[in-house]
Amino acid sequence: MTEPGFIRLNVRALLGRAYPRVIGGTRELSWIFFETVLPLLSIAAYVFIYKAFLPPNPDQTMLDKVNALVGYVVIGGTMTAFWLNVLWSMASQLYWEKEVGNLQLYMMAPMSRMALLGGMAVGGMFMTSTRAVTTLVVGVFIFGIVLTISNPLLILAVFFVTLIALYGMGMMFASLYLLYGREAWNLSALMEEPIFLLSGFYFPVKALGQTVAIGASIIPATLGLDALRQLMFPVSGFGTQFYFFSPELELAVLCVLAAVFLVLAKLSLGYLETLAKREGKLTTRHQ
Amino acid sequence: MFKQAAWLGWEMESNWTEPGLFLIYSIIKPVAGAFILVLMSFVALFIGGGSQNLGQSAMFAYLFVGNAFFIYVSSVLFGCFQVIQSDREWYQTIRYVYMSPINFYTYIVGRAASKVLIATIATAVTLAFGVFALHIDLSMSLWDIPLFLAVMVIGLLCVVAIGLCLAGLSFLTAKHTHGLAEGIPGLFYLFCGVIFPLSVLPGWGQSVGRALPITYWLEAVRRLVLPDSLFAQVPTGLEQADLAGIIALLLVSTAFFFLLSILLFRMTEYLARKAGIIDMTTNY
Amino acid sequence: MTHAAETRELTRIFKRKPKRHLLRRKSAKNNEKENGGPVTALDHVNLTIKEGELFGLLGPNGAGKTTLIKVLCTLLLPTSGSAYVAGFDVSKDVGQIRRRINMVSGGETSGYGLLTTRENIWMFSQFYGIPSKVAKERIDELMHTFGLHDKKNVKVRTLSTGERQKMNMIRGFVTDPEILFLDEPTLGLDVNASRTIREYVMNWARKREHKTVLLTTHYMMEAEMMCDRVAIIDRGRILALDTPANLKRTIRKESTVQLEVDSLKSTIPLGGIKGIGNFSSKDDIARGTTNLTIIVEDESAISDIMSAITAQGSRIRSMRKTDPTLEDVFISMVGKGLEE
Repeated sequence: MTEPGFIRLNVRALLGRAYPRVIGGTRELSWIFFETVLPLLSIAAYVFIYKAFLPPNPDQTMLDKVNALVGYVVIGGTMTAFWLNVLWSMASQLYWEKEVGNLQLYMMAPMSRMALLGGMAVGGMFMTSTRAVTTLVVGVFIFGIVLTISNPLLILAVFFVTLIALYGMGMMFASLYLLYGREAWNLSALMEEPIFLLSGFYFPVKALGQTVAIGASIIPATLGLDALRQLMFPVSGFGTQFYFFSPELELAVLCVLAAVFLVLAKLSLGYLETLAKREGKLTTRHQ
Repeated sequence: MFKQAAWLGWEMESNWTEPGLFLIYSIIKPVAGAFILVLMSFVALFIGGGSQNLGQSAMFAYLFVGNAFFIYVSSVLFGCFQVIQSDREWYQTIRYVYMSPINFYTYIVGRAASKVLIATIATAVTLAFGVFALHIDLSMSLWDIPLFLAVMVIGLLCVVAIGLCLAGLSFLTAKHTHGLAEGIPGLFYLFCGVIFPLSVLPGWGQSVGRALPITYWLEAVRRLVLPDSLFAQVPTGLEQADLAGIIALLLVSTAFFFLLSILLFRMTEYLARKAGIIDMTTNY
Repeated sequence: MTHAAETRELTRIFKRKPKRHLLRRKSAKNNEKENGGPVTALDHVNLTIKEGELFGLLGPNGAGKTTLIKVLCTLLLPTSGSAYVAGFDVSKDVGQIRRRINMVSGGETSGYGLLTTRENIWMFSQFYGIPSKVAKERIDELMHTFGLHDKKNVKVRTLSTGERQKMNMIRGFVTDPEILFLDEPTLGLDVNASRTIREYVMNWARKREHKTVLLTTHYMMEAEMMCDRVAIIDRGRILALDTPANLKRTIRKESTVQLEVDSLKSTIPLGGIKGIGNFSSKDDIARGTTNLTIIVEDESAISDIMSAITAQGSRIRSMRKTDPTLEDVFISMVGKGLEE
């Protein structure tokens, strides 16, 4: 049998690693409740914050403004599914693998580490997408959000490029787990909410101020969310005062971020693997 | 056994890094969570056209205090759930602990104790941030301190009891730590008047909230730490009851959940033993 | 000629991190003795494994066997020295090496509990780029050979220890590696399971002249039975390297005497007897006895041995002289048994 080429090897590896995720999802169905129903509760809570600040007897203008913010929360909640998938089902997955003893077998195989992580991401996409779609659809119906889809191609482009950039960033974080154990896990736990904050998952990112928002743009979700909101709510109840840059510019920046993060992921995975092998931590459990 | 389990829980929480870094971690995490609410409130006040001085907003004070004390809920629930999941899936020590003569229920309570300690630090940091950076007005008379402590103890008992219900459920579920750990606190986040008053919810939602002890716990805490003048501006939906009534409702509902936790834990443990899945591994 | 594996002055040192403790940090940081200091797992190891060999690495727990395998499997970098697998440097040519190797460890818990046996093995085969159809055919054939055919659609979490290890072995063979590393593959298995695995490994290696197996074990019978050549390792150093027969011949002039005596208070008096090479002792608390294995250079020392034992008030329950085994070779070199 001839040796497979680079692409064939890594495509097979990617599909191989995606397989347990897909099959696991069909054999252990408890995730349906945990991943679709329960997250809606947190989203609803954030929606009610905005409603709680409504003055008594609000006029239509005020209601429109709050409805716009509610729409922001739902879009942010939809993206939360992907961010949590990046953080916990991909980046920190190497920690689980190390603990159960799979990591050394993965590291010994000739596949690319990015194919391994990509497989985790692709395999988890079914569950993640289910959660995201449920959040969006239920959120739209329950809270009466009106979306205006004027440029579906641009929306899809922004969405997919944001995902690629986000997953590239996740692969970069995953490399930390090759060297570190619980330190990296706690770092992931630490990053969860600051990312929600800096990317404006539940509020327009421009509320952070122009300077902070520009700095936060290095996180793909920041510009991705802002662009999606502009494209889905072109004229919101409070006009465009909370929008950042134009969607086209944000898409261009996201493309650059995607490329940069994927390259950085490759470099960091290689570097940290070498470091871990030098320090003897690559296969050390319970660090 | 409680002492040993608490020691183990503390070691696992803290010995992954240097003490200084652990302290920074313990501060950043709750403050970042609080900041999200700060920004949301700021935006809400901005579009309302009113004053954006958060310190003067009664609603902001209401949600900030609720969010600060809710750290106990999310931390302890996650901690209880994680004990079984981590011992089972990562460390694979559950079978050895389970078959030893200790009371497993007590073991989980002990492990959760470290979460309570860390949540106390986080809550204190969050409240301090609110007072000094955001100028929220908190005040409690010396006479109220014993009552506050009593309310905290009852509230934490209630939270631990709910955590044990979750721990019992985790005997039967696959490794969905974050799905459950995020989702179940979300239930309380929505229905217990944590970040908005109960009166904002539709009627059926308010009924759900009134059945949950955490609602009364947070209400009692707020009445004790917020000035009456500020608190009176927020229509909480529980104005009819006085503080004694709220505490009584807290006691009764806590007792109910405590009994429920024992029942549910025993039942799920029995089902897991019957199915032979106490030590199953489901990581995928 | 390219060897299957080669090491030159290979050294691997592990530094121990001071234990973090929130309250007692200073004493842990300042006390190196408490931390144990650095550990030299491999100490200037020079080894050459020929292509087509079934090579054994024999040594007690903590000798450095697994560390050596990890270096050769590209999971660990040497601290100094070099190592080559199939002619490729483990530090630089990892991609080339990984296509040619596989490893199976004893007591492995790899894979995912929710997948079936067949699915787990198939998944790992994909990481080596094996076409799905080819992989499935190999898996089915290997499952028949290892007697796991009726478990192919059973979830991994329901397998017994022996079945799990058979699954791990299949995982190792399914990629048809040029070099297979087996790290204590029969650890914790019953007699039948161990026999199945040993027989398959020997047949696999014998029928394929270019396939190499490096087997680590602390079961001397396993090494004696399976290996073309054996290296004895202890505390990171290679003490001897030769065929099992030649190694046993090194203590041909010596006899091995095995005694079962009433529990001895001390074995120190035995050390002073002239004519003794080395000896090991093992207490059997349940039976109240001490089992002694003594390498005797001069048979006249036997009477002195018996006197030293009876002087302690201990009764000799049984005594026999045996042919030298690899464990005897080990004891003669190191002064303790393989399982101590």
